[in-house]
Amino acid sequence: MSDSTRDDAPQEFSLDRRRILIGSGVLLGGMAATSRIPPAAADASADDYPRRFLQLSSLLIPHQLDRDVGMRLAAALKLRDAAFASRVTSLIDIAKRKQAKVVEDFFADVPEGALKDTALQIISAWYLGVIVDAPDAEVFAYELALMYQPTIDVMTIPTYAISGPNGWTSNAPPLSDMPTF
Amino acid sequence: MTSDDSADVIVVGTGIVGCLVAEEMLDAGLSVLMLEAGPRVDRWRIVENYRNLPPTLRLHFDAPYPPKPWAPHLETYTDASAAEYLQLEGPDALAYRQGYVRYAGGATWHWAGICWRLTPEDMRLKSLYGVGRDWEFDYDTLEPYYTRAEYAIGVCGPSDPALQWPPLRSKPYPMGPLPFGPGEQRFTDAAARIGLKNVPSAQARNSAIAYDGRPPCCGNNNCIPVCPIAAKYDAATALPKIEAKGGRILANAVAYRVESGPGNAIDAVHYFDADKHSHRVTGRIFVLACNGIETPKLLLLSTDERNPRGVANSSDQLGRNMMDQPKLVAALTLTEPMWTGVGPVQGSSIMQTSQGPFRSRHGGALFRFNNMARSHIGAAAALRKGLVGKALDAEIRRLSACTAEITIEHELLPDPQNRLTLSGKKDWLGLNKPNIYYDVGDYVRRSAKEYSVPLVRKLAAELGATDVQVSTEFAHSDHIMGGTIMGANAASSVVDLDCRAHDHANLFLPGGGAMTTGGCGNSTLTMAALALKAADAITGQLKHG
Repeated sequence: MSDSTRDDAPQEFSLDRRRILIGSGVLLGGMAATSRIPPAAADASADDYPRRFLQLSSLLIPHQLDRDVGMRLAAALKLRDAAFASRVTSLIDIAKRKQAKVVEDFFADVPEGALKDTALQIISAWYLGVIVDAPDAEVFAYELALMYQPTIDVMTIPTYAISGPNGWTSNAPPLSDMPTF
Repeated sequence: MTSDDSADVIVVGTGIVGCLVAEEMLDAGLSVLMLEAGPRVDRWRIVENYRNLPPTLRLHFDAPYPPKPWAPHLETYTDASAAEYLQLEGPDALAYRQGYVRYAGGATWHWAGICWRLTPEDMRLKSLYGVGRDWEFDYDTLEPYYTRAEYAIGVCGPSDPALQWPPLRSKPYPMGPLPFGPGEQRFTDAAARIGLKNVPSAQARNSAIAYDGRPPCCGNNNCIPVCPIAAKYDAATALPKIEAKGGRILANAVAYRVESGPGNAIDAVHYFDADKHSHRVTGRIFVLACNGIETPKLLLLSTDERNPRGVANSSDQLGRNMMDQPKLVAALTLTEPMWTGVGPVQGSSIMQTSQGPFRSRHGGALFRFNNMARSHIGAAAALRKGLVGKALDAEIRRLSACTAEITIEHELLPDPQNRLTLSGKKDWLGLNKPNIYYDVGDYVRRSAKEYSVPLVRKLAAELGATDVQVSTEFAHSDHIMGGTIMGANAASSVVDLDCRAHDHANLFLPGGGAMTTGGCGNSTLTMAALALKAADAITGQLKHG
């Protein structure tokens, strides 16, 4: 389409804010046209930081985690903070010492300060789908953000539908019935 | 002076009012040209904009609609951004931060779809209660237009008169009511225990069936800021229909001057395109339907020798009597789960509280349960506590389910002091920004203090709330009314009973601006009814002279 008065012509639409967001924080340039980092490209170096980030994420969060989201978070968090990767290693070491399988096994042993903040930052990012919740922040996950899951048996993820035409009722399960996710 | 384009009817604005008028004109065999200041954008892009917002910004209903430089609207993501376009002053300045988007399709893109009618009493405040103004016609005059509007946009509602508001109807709703989710049902039950009736809203949302080429509501719980499937009526869905009937729509065309001619007839509208080039369009009838702020602004910009205070402003009432329903919100913490996020974001209200002899002293109020999913609010609050693991999930579930909001919308009187003028500050095109002075007045303040806040506390107690925080500052409801107020007397009103400007026989200003009083409910259905009434007058005028 070439109608210059219409923004619903695909080649003419440009959501500037989003394009900039996706480009920033992930790579310093050249990302304008794509929305995701290929997993293999998340970290060009030979170290296993992305694997360690996913390992730590699984220790901090007792739920299924999306690998693509994890790779993008790993890259973005490292870019924001040069010491981030070493704190990931430190947190894994604490978990190992406690032979931890879930977060409750080792979280009390994480010292207050940078290490605890890092652990909470990782958890928060997986739940909210953002590293910072502020205007112009990059969004890493919407429907995969974990915040929707503890109520997914009742509450709609906005824009998605749980049932169908007039398919919902006023019934709700008890608060104690935590969904599995 | 040459014209760039022409049609029988020039419609400025592509919101619900402009689109309803345009379709009526086309159905009557008249040619129509529509001017829209903002861009024309596909639905999926708005949905993706929304999903790609950081969580807190998803509560800012304007955020998925970034404005074009030439068509600014309120952007609320920071206080600084919110202060950019609308210039506000007065005791309740911030309560007039009206949300509307200058996009093709207008503010129905992000409305909740609520379609209350006024009651007969809402239209007779002066004679019944000695306050405000009376409408120049009664409910029975408006009723056929309400019904036509409900069928035009597809409104669902209950067939049981005991659940209708008001139960004064010539035809049933085109569709039955939508079901309640758990929160709305609990709210209804608690209200009933203290003698209040929470009734299903009339809503422009397809219930159980497709209507007018749009699908049935599937409970996506995102009516605000965009229905992802167009089950809710928004005027964007009317645009292809208008084009299919031969209407033409120019997006990114910012009307900035209405030109009068001999006999004070309107000869043309001038607009800027996105390259700041000026164009002139001519027609036989001009309809300004740019909303309750942009229409008075455009008319005030249009001064000339015949109209030194602005077109349609011999009464000096243009831009005065700006109304809304000032809103308070009660935030509840409960011991038992209430649950939100099941079905549409709004689906019911307590309406009986809008009526009563107390209206001689203070305004009425409506109460409604806010059904927007609270999962992200619960999650953010639980995360701030530093919880992890099972404790985090349990707290997210508890805070999402066991918190709730009740919104109170108050009736405001028309007051000429609440006035829109032109600011000295200019926008990107060099056009004056609107400036609005706003004071909700003692009528509203007394309503809150003596009536609505005590009542919401009673409701909260009945719901088992352990904590109730009622906002202390009034907020906007985005129901912009009054600025081109209707009346029979040309000295004290801007438009006549058909929304025709008293000063200009071929200029029509239908919509919320014409409303004489606003009641407690969303103004949209009344705006739509007035649009259809104006459309009848226009076709009559063009076809029969």
